[in-house]
Amino acid sequence: MSFFSIMSKVLNLSLIYASFRAATPIIYAALCASVTQQANILNIGTEGIMLIGAFTAVTVSYFTGSWILGVLCAMLAGVVIALIMAVGHIKFGADICGIGMGINMLALAITKFLLKAIYDVNGAFSSPQIKVIPKVSIPFLDNVPVIGTLLNNWSLTEWFAIILIIVLQFFIFKTVWGLRLRAVGQFPEAAKTAGIKVNAVKYRAMAISGLIGGLAGAHLSLGYSSQFIENMTSSRGFMGVAAMYFGGANPVKASIGCLLFGFADSIGARLQAYGLPSQFVLMMPYIVTIVVLAISMAAQLRSAKRRQSSLN
Amino acid sequence: MKSVKDGIVRILLTMVLALLIGAVLILAIGENPISAYRALLKGAFVGKLSLGTTLASFTPLLLTSMAFVVAAQAGAFNVGVEGEVFLGGITAAYIGYQWDFLPAPLLMIACFAGAMVVTALWAFIPAWLKAYYNVSEVCTTILMNSVALYITSYLVSGPMSAGSANPQSPPVLVKLKQFMRPSSVNVGIFLAIAVVLLVIFMLYRTSMGYKFRLVGTNPAFADFTGINSKHVFIKAMMVSGMIGGIAGTIEVLGVYGYFLNNFATGLGSNGMLAALIVKSNVVATPFMAFFLAVLKSGAMGMQQATGVPKGLVDTITAVFIIIATMETLFDFLKRRKSDETKIELKDFGVSASSANSAAAGTDGKRPADQKGGKS
Repeated sequence: MSFFSIMSKVLNLSLIYASFRAATPIIYAALCASVTQQANILNIGTEGIMLIGAFTAVTVSYFTGSWILGVLCAMLAGVVIALIMAVGHIKFGADICGIGMGINMLALAITKFLLKAIYDVNGAFSSPQIKVIPKVSIPFLDNVPVIGTLLNNWSLTEWFAIILIIVLQFFIFKTVWGLRLRAVGQFPEAAKTAGIKVNAVKYRAMAISGLIGGLAGAHLSLGYSSQFIENMTSSRGFMGVAAMYFGGANPVKASIGCLLFGFADSIGARLQAYGLPSQFVLMMPYIVTIVVLAISMAAQLRSAKRRQSSLN
Repeated sequence: MKSVKDGIVRILLTMVLALLIGAVLILAIGENPISAYRALLKGAFVGKLSLGTTLASFTPLLLTSMAFVVAAQAGAFNVGVEGEVFLGGITAAYIGYQWDFLPAPLLMIACFAGAMVVTALWAFIPAWLKAYYNVSEVCTTILMNSVALYITSYLVSGPMSAGSANPQSPPVLVKLKQFMRPSSVNVGIFLAIAVVLLVIFMLYRTSMGYKFRLVGTNPAFADFTGINSKHVFIKAMMVSGMIGGIAGTIEVLGVYGYFLNNFATGLGSNGMLAALIVKSNVVATPFMAFFLAVLKSGAMGMQQATGVPKGLVDTITAVFIIIATMETLFDFLKRRKSDETKIELKDFGVSASSANSAAAGTDGKRPADQKGGKS
């Protein structure tokens, strides 16, 4: 088979949705990290918040039969975890990387422990009783050729991701709240002088980050899939943090970075059918993330230097 | 002396608190915490096999925790030890079964040397990106761990496969001698101790170690005194990678005798935990590594003797580290003395103890890290 015929099979319209679908969990993670980064807190614990959220969502959905409750409880759990980090970091002076990695370890360990304690299974839990987040199907779009394949049957949380990006972008850059948040991040002493309660702003940013992180987890376990697997986030939280760096904590730019990772993910999955070893497919998103992150940081550094020299 | 005493008191308090939280969890699933902890200790120490298993799991933890400490001394947060263990292991396995033209002692040395070269080069990538392009090494090393895992998994199921049902490499031609059978503890433990002593000597008695510590506490000052902080940073990461590679080699040559897919999951991250709990204190880290090894090897016994899943041990460890990172949590014990200075520092947004913190380099010392990212 020639290169072009493979490429024409790999690159088609449904790839766009596949990329977006693979990117959504990372987008949520990137938003989760962006909010705190604006307040100059590097949220390394994104991964852990997501994992706890995913587990809570599946558990609540399984026992109550309501996906809404599942998602809400996941968000609540996310807030609790984020606030543990916040109290540790802000009040008790914990190093954010240290406590963040601790949170990630805790999430991994406690979900494994609870998986065994509640469901008596190792590795993964799935059940038809888990109610998943519904898909938005618009009947008349079925007949519209291009838009039908592109936009129909998205999961509700996939649509909500787009709304959330826009809302966060607006709140961070166009409201007083966002201005204060950024002020706290860039120059806490000045913010304090201006009468802003620095720590209160930081706590609030962490709580919001927890909400988003919990939602990210719920989307992963109830929207993207319909089960809980041990370590199911598989570094998506860290990819989100990488995307946050890529976008300079700007929600829209960070989400574009996530789309790149999602693209790498879904194109690899398709190439697997043509004999590419699965390990290469699996490592592709990580490599793309590292490369994109390195290039974007180098570019940011260069532009920062240029601006500095023009000021002198 | 006072600070040493304070440190020990803090660690013990943290340990008690973590075990208490673990006890609450055990109670929550309807088991008896005291008998669970007793079973854990029994599973770690009573009997030749138990004790041997504890020592065998102590060996890699000792090295990986020290690998993290070396990087932390130079201000790097090296989460990549996990991947370095894997890559070191696979290199050692490759050389160990492929280079049959070498006599056994030389082959042994070649295994270690090859593993160290590969892991040093691997650690060079994130270090270089951090030093010259300010790319967060936490992010890159974590992502590179997954890449390393998939590379080794590809190699043992493809080009280096032994052709058996499990993805594993052919057996190596040299082995580190095991003693205390049937446990897998081997002479690698003495090698590990020697490496750790060497590292401590390097850190406190050589100019390279001095440069590491100087760059870790204040890279700008190091630059002013004519030390290239970027080079030192990269060097520290590479040394850290080498130690991770040694850990992988010992596991392959001493414990397994071949490279088994996913054989070292968690070795690197548990070593990191041990180092984080004691804030990368060089002397305290080996003891913490031993404590974690006890928890790990006792967990199986606890699961068998009681109904407590062994996952609980990881939970306790994680709680342990979360509490341990909170620098000022136990300050109420000595609040009266240092109250005023602390408030003063806090007013200026300076964390009083961030200078001592192992990984402060990642959030305090290179302000361009966050500020550059936002512009």
